[in-house]
Amino acid sequence: MKLALLILEDERPVREALRRDLAAFARHVRIEEAEDVPTALEVIEEIDAAGDRLALVMADHRLPGTSGVDFLIGLAADDRAFATRKVLVTGQADQDDTIRAINEAGLDRYVAKPWQADALRDLVREQLTEFVLAAGVDPLPHLAVLDAERALSIVRERGDL
Amino acid sequence: MSTATARPRVNLPRLTLVQRIGLLLGSIAFLVPLLVEIPGLEPAGRRMLAIFLLAILFWVSEAIPLYATAVLVILLQVLMLSDQALIGVAGTLPPAASYFAALANPVIILFLGGFLIADGAHKFGLDRSLAAVMLRPFAGNARLSLLGLMMITALLSMFVSNTATTATMFAVVIPILAALPQGRARTGVALAIPVAANVGGIGTPVGSPPNAIALGALEAAGQGISFIGWMLLAVPLMVVVLLFAWWFLTRRFIAADTPLALELSADFDRSPAAVIFYVIAATTVLLWLTEPFHGIASSTVGFLPVVALLATQVMGADDIKRLQWPVLWLVAGGIALGAGIGASGLDVWLIGLVAWEALPLTLLLLLLVGVSVGLSTVISHSAAANLLVPLTLSLAIGLPIDPTAVGVMVALACALGMALPISTPPNAIAYATGEVPTSEMILSGIAIGGFGALLLALVMPSVWNALGLL
Repeated sequence: MKLALLILEDERPVREALRRDLAAFARHVRIEEAEDVPTALEVIEEIDAAGDRLALVMADHRLPGTSGVDFLIGLAADDRAFATRKVLVTGQADQDDTIRAINEAGLDRYVAKPWQADALRDLVREQLTEFVLAAGVDPLPHLAVLDAERALSIVRERGDL
Repeated sequence: MSTATARPRVNLPRLTLVQRIGLLLGSIAFLVPLLVEIPGLEPAGRRMLAIFLLAILFWVSEAIPLYATAVLVILLQVLMLSDQALIGVAGTLPPAASYFAALANPVIILFLGGFLIADGAHKFGLDRSLAAVMLRPFAGNARLSLLGLMMITALLSMFVSNTATTATMFAVVIPILAALPQGRARTGVALAIPVAANVGGIGTPVGSPPNAIALGALEAAGQGISFIGWMLLAVPLMVVVLLFAWWFLTRRFIAADTPLALELSADFDRSPAAVIFYVIAATTVLLWLTEPFHGIASSTVGFLPVVALLATQVMGADDIKRLQWPVLWLVAGGIALGAGIGASGLDVWLIGLVAWEALPLTLLLLLLVGVSVGLSTVISHSAAANLLVPLTLSLAIGLPIDPTAVGVMVALACALGMALPISTPPNAIAYATGEVPTSEMILSGIAIGGFGALLLALVMPSVWNALGLL
């Protein structure tokens, strides 16, 4: 089982920039891209069918068709995305959209474009750790991409089985 | 929130090939003694043999979780070998309550106390602060720092589970690891922690579950050992194996001039709750160590912190819920299994199988320790002890050696199987850090575990005798 990270972004250069800045995670995390919401839903179906877990979605707001915020609101009720962490990566969400994303989608973080690569990596590590803790996933296979100290706090409660 | 929220899904795990085979063979092995006449074995013994074979195959293959096999063993014993048996047999069978009582065995109560103290130590940050204070004298030299790290890990592991000790120590050490140059030095440090945690676990009865399993079985056979009595038997071995491990790991991985800065800050919690905890924990440990003077059994002492911590509300219902119940059930299953083997007469039949007394004692002890280390390398230490302790204690009846020595020896040998990432949870944690290649874990596991096994089989019995401990 792999942790999956979904990038939902219609602009190709932005997707590539995200993927480049998150390259350090690519060895341990399944990184998927989608340019619009229907593609994103297909990707989620693929992740689920492969037995992987959608740990983190990084979505832009302005997309052709359904908006990123509406996608995240739908995701909040999706069993395939239980405990999935939601991050809005955008420069263009207005106040109302942002309020809806927080109140209705349970938005976890907001990243304003342009982002700082280091801060973004820290944020992804933190959010993957939050997912593993909330979803009850065994952290050991994913330790390399997690905040080790927090991840090990679950392991310590296992005892010497 | 206005919308529905996602629900967690319970995904049933897919069984591996080994698990499927284990399930199949376990079921067949369970049926054979029930259907086939076995010479020299009474019906009760045949039923117990069926349960024992099933336990072996399920625990070895992990066809179902370890603790599930443990509760299955208890249920089968109640249904087949108690006064509530579905089909009775000639003779009297023990009451069903005696099997259920395994979960309230004094050894389990002892562990309950140990667990609460360990959890409290983490809750109040005592484990980290103690580690920081004790590391100070070793600062400056990389090889000496590693010795300090291993001694502290072992000391914590004597009272805290090996898994929790390793998790705590890695949380402390991972930032330090990151500062080291990539490569051998990192591997050495990352290997030192699980090795020290595994070895340290043998030090006291509450250090790891195999100790409890052996202690419970010995107590049932009227051969109980006090807390301090166990320590006198085990700590000399623990210290020598630790020193050897340190020597091996530093020579192999840590160059003398490695820059290794192990300076941590101690931050003792001085809140009233923490102070009450320190007093209760210290009193408990003191009472454990002084049993010969006051005569209060270690299990009774173990129940003291349970009462005191809950009554003072230093710990509460949540802390009870967080206790490692799967471990307690696993140990209880092992105790029930041992009791059943004795009560059903299966032990007598097992001794008669092989003319053990024809073998030289030294060879027999080597064999015993070798099998224990081998089995615990590939399966859980606790499960290995659950299977081997009752078996070897039955054999010990016919041998010219104290059964206590045999019981303790098997428990200690089960701690030395640490050559694979799957051998123990501490090894799994070390492997997960990505700093330890499997080949290095195998090599150091064989070297250190092998050294410990030889010492245990060849030297310890004479040491125990010479010190008048048996």
